[in-house]
Amino acid sequence: MSGRVRIAVARRFLAGLLPAAVLVASACAGPAIAADRFPVALTDDRGVVVRLASPPRRIVSLAPSITEIVFLLGRGDSLVGVTRYCNVPSAASVLPKIGGVSDPDVERIVALSPDLVLCTTDGNPREKVRALEEMGVPCFAVSPQDLGAVFGSIERLGVLLGAADRGRAEAASLRRRAGLARSRSAAAETPAVLFVVSTAPIIAAGGGTFMDELVRLSGGRNAAARFSGRYPRLSVEELVAARPDVIFVAGMAGVERFPPDVTRWKEVPAFRDGAVITLDGDLVTRPGPRLVNALERVAAALADWRKGRPKGPAAGAGGNR
Amino acid sequence: MTGGGKKSGAAFPVLAAALLGALALSAATGPVPISPRAAFDAVFLGTDDTSARVLLSLRLPRALLGALVGGALASSGVAFQALLRNPLADPYILGVSGGAAVGALSVALFLSADASPLLPLFAFGGAALSALAVFLLARRRSGVSPERLILMGVVVGAFLNAVIMLMVTLSPPGKIPGALYWLMGDLGLGTPHRVAILFPYVALGTVLLYLLSRGLDLLLLGDHAAFQAGLSVERVKTATYLTASLLAGSVVAVSGLIGFVGLIVPHGARVLVGSGHRRLLPAAFLLGGAFLVLSDTLARVASPAGELPVGAVTALAGAPFFLYLLRRNGGRS
Repeated sequence: MSGRVRIAVARRFLAGLLPAAVLVASACAGPAIAADRFPVALTDDRGVVVRLASPPRRIVSLAPSITEIVFLLGRGDSLVGVTRYCNVPSAASVLPKIGGVSDPDVERIVALSPDLVLCTTDGNPREKVRALEEMGVPCFAVSPQDLGAVFGSIERLGVLLGAADRGRAEAASLRRRAGLARSRSAAAETPAVLFVVSTAPIIAAGGGTFMDELVRLSGGRNAAARFSGRYPRLSVEELVAARPDVIFVAGMAGVERFPPDVTRWKEVPAFRDGAVITLDGDLVTRPGPRLVNALERVAAALADWRKGRPKGPAAGAGGNR
Repeated sequence: MTGGGKKSGAAFPVLAAALLGALALSAATGPVPISPRAAFDAVFLGTDDTSARVLLSLRLPRALLGALVGGALASSGVAFQALLRNPLADPYILGVSGGAAVGALSVALFLSADASPLLPLFAFGGAALSALAVFLLARRRSGVSPERLILMGVVVGAFLNAVIMLMVTLSPPGKIPGALYWLMGDLGLGTPHRVAILFPYVALGTVLLYLLSRGLDLLLLGDHAAFQAGLSVERVKTATYLTASLLAGSVVAVSGLIGFVGLIVPHGARVLVGSGHRRLLPAAFLLGGAFLVLSDTLARVASPAGELPVGAVTALAGAPFFLYLLRRNGGRS
């Protein structure tokens, strides 16, 4: 209840600024910004209604995936603050840093006088977002849980940032690419796939993760889906028992390689055939547009597995022996 | 605390059977199904199929590592409790854990994961350095008092904890899961190689402590009484301290920080065989080994969400067991 009151307060605050904002908007609106469609009112993924009187010009992003989406929408120039993890595109890495995803610095954010903060419920602390709202900064949360929701959030952020057409176009093109990648796997053999985020200890992506979805969309069977929990930890014996045909490693610095006393288990088809493929960890864990790149790579690798096992070209290129 | 000898000698066969039973249960439990026949063939006929290899190079080494680690932690705990005359002492009380953690995190953060074979070495080095630092800081011309040891241990431990927090905060996120699991205590790295590395340290440490049994008995009476009884108090204290730290440090290096075993198992063993160290030390070793092997078996199979850190299981199972012992005994032993 009190959240709504605060939003209402924020709305009044913004309404007071409206004449000034319109002036600014009309003075320097580029062709990409559709100021004429404002004011907008959108419900975010928390159920909070956020109203903007004009396209935001000072945006702070609290997650790398959101930063990528803002740039995709052609509004990177209005970002005034990002997290220390925002490294894509390269223009994002030179922007002022407001802390990390789990530890954004409220004071630093307020000092940037943003007119919109884009946040996520998957990682940003709720109290910090609430603190920002109490200070009159409108916060819009996106937390897509699957690929379809990622495309949807690109469209909604397009509307919110005054780039509705661009958002729709980009989402449509991503949907098309995802559909294409999926069609390659229709009605084919389903390899057992293990997607690990750490090799020592072995931590796999279970059900409910984007990596699980990438595997399923590519026509694979997630060998870690039988565990409960999103990131189960597997013993070497469990890896041997699961016998994955293909292993993807979401590479993060320092954990890309399985130790030799793990890879010597040739009972595991992926180790026997060299079908261990390293993908950029950021690519598969960020709910942003590049998830489609990840899907294309996973689908291509599984297509190679079907075509020419034991040794597909992708396995040779990215595998570690 | 009273001397040993009043409890029945039947405790030792029971403890030995418990350890063997725990080892057998651990070897029989796991996701790859292994029939008793296949296990027999693997052990006695040297078959080489998947179940044989799972049994011989995954399960048995891990079970043996658990027995060595549990036994060493319990022995080390017995020694520290006698040395410090404090029932709440455990192998980590004097900063060994903090030093080992800083060593292990240094490998995880400053070297790549490909250097993870170095982790035990650095952990051991860190443990040895901090144990030595605490000892030198606590030593005075008049000798080492338990109070000063505990004080210095706590101060050094607090300092190292701050270093650990800094290291974890400043590290890139992808680099630390391995180090965190290590901090929680983990037998998942039980390879035949590690068992072979650890064995001489544990053998040496436990034998040395056993030879110090009489000295430890006398230490419990107080420095003065021990001296009166003809004990070279400082020498026994120094030897006990270094041996118990060596045990704790070498164990920490291969298995991380497994809590609670070194604290509760000595009390459990005391209930069974009394507090004479000639009986208490071997009893604690057997009981500690059995307890940790069982805890690790549970950690491997209990959760549908994959493996649990064994340190969490030992604390979860250990705390209620400790309370039960205390209450059944009507107070401390």
